[in-house]
Amino acid sequence: MIAEIVEAIKIASRSLMQHKLRSGLSVLGVVCGVMAVLAMIAVGEGTKEKTLKQIGELGIRNIFVKAVSLSDEQVQIARELLSEGLRFYDRERILSVVPDVEDIACLKEVRAAVISAVNIEFSPQIIACSANYASIQRLHISEGRFLNNQDIEGNQLVCAIGGDVAHKLGINGQIGKFLRIENELFKIVGILDRFYRDQEAITTMAIRNVNEMVLIPLGAENLLTKREEVQNIQSLTELIVLIKSAEKVFRAGEVIKRTLDLSHNGVKDYQIIIPLELLRQAQRTQRIFNLVLGAIATISLLVGGIGIMNIMLASVSERTKEIGIRRALGATRMDIILQFLAEAFMMTLMGGCIGIITGIANAFIISKVAGWKTSVTFPAIFLPLVMSVCVGLFFGLYPAVKAAKMDPIKALRTE
Amino acid sequence: MNFPVIEALHIEKSYLMGYSILPVLNGVEIRVERGEFVAIMGPSGSGKSTLLHILGCLDRPDTGSYHIEGHNVLSATDSELSKIRATQIGFVFQSFNLLSALNVFENVRLPFSYSRIEKGEARDRVENAIAKVGLTHRIKHRPAELSGGELQRAAIARALVIEPKIILADEPTGNLDSKTGIEIMNLFQKLHHEGATIIMISHNHQIANHAQRVIELMDGRIINK
Ligand SMILES: Nc1ncnc2c1ncn2[C@@H]1O[C@H](COP(=O)(O)OP(=O)(O)OP(=O)(O)O)[C@@H](O)[C@H]1O
Ligand SMILES: [Mg+2]
Repeated sequence: MIAEIVEAIKIASRSLMQHKLRSGLSVLGVVCGVMAVLAMIAVGEGTKEKTLKQIGELGIRNIFVKAVSLSDEQVQIARELLSEGLRFYDRERILSVVPDVEDIACLKEVRAAVISAVNIEFSPQIIACSANYASIQRLHISEGRFLNNQDIEGNQLVCAIGGDVAHKLGINGQIGKFLRIENELFKIVGILDRFYRDQEAITTMAIRNVNEMVLIPLGAENLLTKREEVQNIQSLTELIVLIKSAEKVFRAGEVIKRTLDLSHNGVKDYQIIIPLELLRQAQRTQRIFNLVLGAIATISLLVGGIGIMNIMLASVSERTKEIGIRRALGATRMDIILQFLAEAFMMTLMGGCIGIITGIANAFIISKVAGWKTSVTFPAIFLPLVMSVCVGLFFGLYPAVKAAKMDPIKALRTE
Repeated sequence: MNFPVIEALHIEKSYLMGYSILPVLNGVEIRVERGEFVAIMGPSGSGKSTLLHILGCLDRPDTGSYHIEGHNVLSATDSELSKIRATQIGFVFQSFNLLSALNVFENVRLPFSYSRIEKGEARDRVENAIAKVGLTHRIKHRPAELSGGELQRAAIARALVIEPKIILADEPTGNLDSKTGIEIMNLFQKLHHEGATIIMISHNHQIANHAQRVIELMDGRIINK
């Protein structure tokens, strides 16, 4: 069988070489199909990678509970219902009621300014946080240490600063130097690794940009806020609940929601964000995208396949005499089938290869011109290639069988 | 153990034309021994080509029996018949039937696409066959670059190359002028003297007389043996 296939490929390649232009034109459909499929998969994979990365950065075992700023009217209602917004007390409730909670980090945005000699426009975000914030959000420390529980309990005036902040401060941004926030001096004890998140993720997914943050111990912010705001002493901006395992995240999310609903008397002054849920949503969207992609790919390859079938039918009827001669010289029906199938196969394979090359070029141009992220992965190359070859075999089969079924005598008698 | 190369008995063949049956062969009997050179003659439409196709395993009779060296051919499957054609039968046609895209060497090599043979040996046998018909100086020519006589020589080389048990020729000189026709007949006689078994169809008495024995076909029957 192998020898027969090799022979068929030899014969087929000869006949293709004889009609270079015709073969080339008839694979054009396959080329376009493969090219389109490849470019689309590359774009799809690119966006998928990006969203997965963004969501992954939030942490799939985390549940975010964020305070929502209310309008005046809503504030009035909230007062009547005795809800005081997201507070430290919520953390205690969640810890005691919700199952499978491993840890909870607390965050509070502080409205205060860094007073810096270097740059007036320099305004990093000041966040008061619990000591476990670094571990839950997997922040890396490049120098020094992160804030710890002693800092918090002892109301120490220390801070950890983001990589960009340290960079902008220059020599004043080193461990042991003091950073002035409002009227207080905070000693720098740690510098965070500078890491690059794309700007889009920060805006679309509301990921905090740690590079531009100054982190101070939770509680220390009270020194910075004015007297009249002290009543908000217990309020928080964000809770990050770390769940023991990813499977338990959804159930825990439900319980958190119910718990907070109860303690906030139904006031929606908080918002729960579950990255895992976003991930699932992204995957669902991806699946729909893949479906649409598959449909388009099928249609375009179908069109390509019909082109192949057309040219193969023409080729078979044009070479009726040749088929008769080959049969008289001892070719079996199988030999004839293989000969024409090999021809269709090689045409589509060639079309597939050309399509892949132009498709990669296309993906590259798309990412350059439109600025979309594309990713030419193994399936992006392999899938359209396999599909095109299958199309060749499928649409080549009918003409090949037709050729093989011919009566050799009638074939010989044709002129 | 000494079977005739060809033994066909009671061969009947008819074609269905619309609603009527057109009988072509009505009980043909033919026996050919090894090394014989037989000519089949008969008027046009008498079924000579039809008979030759049956003898060449390209077609099957409606009834009758056919043995090649004692092997029952009619019980063979389609691919077994192909195998017999590939290894035991050499066809020579009136219209040469060479593939125009291939040169002489490749045309003569064609039967080896369908029978297992080692590459070097195939080349040797192709070159020998071409030398035997005296075409070595035209080995790279395409059919369009050859004369009628040369075309038929190439076709004969293609029939010879597999060293067949039988060479079947359907009016091999029909498309040639008489001088070239005689050249081809001389070639056939040379092959015959070298021991080849040949069955040849011809219209022409002069041509048919080159054969050892002449069979007349008339109305689907052999009239003299
Ligand atoms: N496929 C077919 N269908 C119907 N009739 C056919 C078919 N093939 C051949 N015939 C008929 O069978 C008869 C014998 O044909 P065949 O070709 O064997 O004649 P022949 O003796 O070779 O004639 P010629 O000397 O002209 O070549 C003819 O009358 C022809 O019309
Ligand atoms: Mg005839």
